[in-house]
Amino acid sequence: MAETIEIQLKKGVLGLCVLALLARADSYAYEIASRLSDAIDMGEGTIYPLMRRMQTDGLVETYLVESSSGPSRKYYRLSPAGRDALVAQSAEWTHFTRAVDAIVANDEAPAAPAPGEAA
Amino acid sequence: MTRTEFLSRLRQGLVGLPMSVAAEIVADYETHFNDGIAAGRSEAEVATALGDPARLARELRAEAGAQRWHQEKNPSAAAAAVFAVLGLGAIDILILLPILMGVIGTLFGMFIAVIALFVSGGAIMVAGPFAGFPGGVAAALLAGLGLMAGAASAGALLAILTIWLVNGIVWFARLHYRLLKPALEPQANAVTGDPA
Repeated sequence: MAETIEIQLKKGVLGLCVLALLARADSYAYEIASRLSDAIDMGEGTIYPLMRRMQTDGLVETYLVESSSGPSRKYYRLSPAGRDALVAQSAEWTHFTRAVDAIVANDEAPAAPAPGEAA
Repeated sequence: MTRTEFLSRLRQGLVGLPMSVAAEIVADYETHFNDGIAAGRSEAEVATALGDPARLARELRAEAGAQRWHQEKNPSAAAAAVFAVLGLGAIDILILLPILMGVIGTLFGMFIAVIALFVSGGAIMVAGPFAGFPGGVAAALLAGLGLMAGAASAGALLAILTIWLVNGIVWFARLHYRLLKPALEPQANAVTGDPA
């Protein structure tokens, strides 16, 4: 059960993680995939469907960079819509984790009945 | 699994996509293998970390179907998007198919009714004045015109409704598809062995 929750959570935040990584610096798929798989144990292959979807949704743009060794490399950068999405999603994420933290913390102190607070 | 094996399974899974799209996807994964080997990993390690190529191909096809529907709103793109999404196993086809059949049948019937209404409006407008339409020539012309306008607007509404419906199915499936789940699971086990 715990695993299922973990997987669902990861699935939900993958897009947000990619947006956050790209906000710091433009990057290419292998780099994004290895960062994410180190941090949250994500299957590296899933980065490609995700990147294509984000491209369809207009959140990221691609450009080619000439490489000294081998063929040119495809880089991803955030589009203006991607920046907006990052702001909106990270606000949602913070809001959500705070709410969960509050509930979990209340559970650990069963003496205090949890009030129905929304924020 | 070797690099060649992985890529050929991926290619098999991508059959049906436009050549240029499939080639681009395969090139992405080839680059991934090159990068992984340059970073000192074996082909088998990279392939394991990537996950099941058949599953990835299904996911990529669904994405391509959704993208095509995004760009061209026509019946064939709609059918392609819906079937690619069904291929994900996100929606149980046994549950969805009867509903979908009913909905498609209803929409089709309504389109036919709208066309019939339009044609009969035209007939009243053209033939009414000569066939002794109750109320006279002007009433026949106006009634015919009204019927035709009504039919045209009903048709437009139906088209909008159909587009919404397909958008809704694509959106629902993207939200719910459970492909990422198995793609994440083996990785969770594989990484526990790593020195962290």
